[in-house]
Amino acid sequence: MSIEMGREERDILYAGIDTLTREGVYLDEQKWDEWLALFVPDCEYWVPSWKNEEELTSNPQAELSHIFYANRAGLEDRIVRIRSRRSPASTPMPRTSHVLSGVLPLEKPQAQKMRLRSSWVCHVFFPRIHESHAFFGRAEHELVLRDGNWLIARKKTILQNDYIPTMLDVYCI
Amino acid sequence: MDAKHVNSYVDDRPSEGVFRVHPAAYSDPELFELEMKFIFERTWSFLAIESQIAKPNDFVTATIGRTPVLVTRTPGNAIRAFVNACRHKGATVCRMEQGNARYHVCPYHGWAYDANGKNVDIKDRRAGQYAAAFDAENHDLLPLPKVAVYNGLIFGCLSPDVPPLDEFLGDIKFFLDCVMDQGPNGMEFVPGRVIYNYRGNWKLQLDNGLDPYHLTSTHTSFIEVQNRRRRGAGNVEARQFDWEKRAATRGGVFGFSNGHSLVWNDHPQPENRPIYPSNEEIRQRVGDTRASWILSKLRQTTIFPNMQIPEAISQLLRTFQPVAVDRTMMRVYCLAPIGERPDLRAWRLRQFEDFFNPTGIATPDDVATYEECQRGFQAKELGWLQGYARGIAAIDGGENEVTREIGIRPNESVIGKFEMQSEVGFHSCHREWARLMEAGLAGRKAYE
Repeated sequence: MSIEMGREERDILYAGIDTLTREGVYLDEQKWDEWLALFVPDCEYWVPSWKNEEELTSNPQAELSHIFYANRAGLEDRIVRIRSRRSPASTPMPRTSHVLSGVLPLEKPQAQKMRLRSSWVCHVFFPRIHESHAFFGRAEHELVLRDGNWLIARKKTILQNDYIPTMLDVYCI
Repeated sequence: MDAKHVNSYVDDRPSEGVFRVHPAAYSDPELFELEMKFIFERTWSFLAIESQIAKPNDFVTATIGRTPVLVTRTPGNAIRAFVNACRHKGATVCRMEQGNARYHVCPYHGWAYDANGKNVDIKDRRAGQYAAAFDAENHDLLPLPKVAVYNGLIFGCLSPDVPPLDEFLGDIKFFLDCVMDQGPNGMEFVPGRVIYNYRGNWKLQLDNGLDPYHLTSTHTSFIEVQNRRRRGAGNVEARQFDWEKRAATRGGVFGFSNGHSLVWNDHPQPENRPIYPSNEEIRQRVGDTRASWILSKLRQTTIFPNMQIPEAISQLLRTFQPVAVDRTMMRVYCLAPIGERPDLRAWRLRQFEDFFNPTGIATPDDVATYEECQRGFQAKELGWLQGYARGIAAIDGGENEVTREIGIRPNESVIGKFEMQSEVGFHSCHREWARLMEAGLAGRKAYE
């Protein structure tokens, strides 16, 4: 069911799409600090695993996730690791292209908060093995307005092709 | 290749201080075909854990070598396993990883089987003008010649010529008990499974799961993150332990018959493990000796050929399925006590995801490295690999104060400080690999 939006809500939605777009762009351009700054410090970052071929896990406290962080500190670890240049999986650094589409509000955008769903593809080229892979799926974002910027307070990423070739890092999704 | 050439792949002379494996053992496609025939199709393989098929008609699918397998619990509560291929045209009958079904109906022509593997329907049989010769044939799913359970772990074999599972496992059972006796109600896989693959030979995972030597070089970026966490920054909820404290701990290797192997050391920070708060319950239930091996040791248990249970923090159970000589499919599960307290379950999950997931910050570095080994193996000039030698001078005859304390008798063991980072853990696996390949090539049974 589509959500009725006036001009104000459309402007908010547009600002939200801008944040989602930047998320991919900053990863592709390896602007790690800018990427981290898109998340509020207590953001929840969750990539659930699949229970079987057809069902996703639904409770990260009781079921296995691909990634679950209750706050931004886990994302900061990732960047420390990438920047260390001492991770064989990230050296040479894979190159990525994030493609975003299908952004729809999950409820009427509010002045301080909105929830969006989106579809994503991330093409990853691994220079180490001279091969590319496309991870894809959908995501749900909760964005909040902080000091005039729409930031990510909660993100759930659904990885549709979960037979993972070798590895997957935050820049692959 | 014939039987007398096996020693050109595994040079097994520890009494002379030598143990070497040739890269071709990991990279020759002809050997891979022989491994399927003489190893995977002739020895026990881990299939599932009992709690995955807790109720009648529950099922789970698995693979032995390249053979698809269906594991069921029958209405009579027996555990059975079958070749998951329809007798009619060979299509896989069950296409789902797991579930519950009274009947398994092949979607191709509708032949139906029950949880006992019995063919209960051949679609439109009466009108089919079948000859008597067809009626005389058996139409049931092919049962695996051997299926057995040890402490909740289900194994199967495609050949009848194997020793009983108990005997196959031998004294490594003590360490399987350490894994499976952690909860008063048994163990389960936490819902959610992780699957990944790599461009490398299955034995690279076999080796790495027994390899203490790579930790401080492959995982330097992980160590850097850890050091930062100890200063209070980063994902401290993962509660990893301090690797620097490990180097001075006592540890060692036990090599067993039939290819099984264990690498262990005293845990520098057992209080970081999610079973630590269950200390008293475990101690009372299993006694002091086993409790101390459950609670205060790091254990990397390998059941030959392709199942490992590493346990440094939370527990992982992994299988590595050979797909091709340079392709391996990994399945990893988080093992946990059934009915575990919710806060301990969450603690377990955060540790597991951090280290063991291919989406975490440690395992990707292992897996990428396997691929680089496989690339290096293409160098025909390389000759014998030198990565099986650490600790050889410390090998004893398998009896010492530790084995006496726990009442086991491995074929060989090494005891010393962790900093030795012994590579002797690989020996029993490759020795068994060579033994099974040689038996197959010589036309002998796998087990005499």
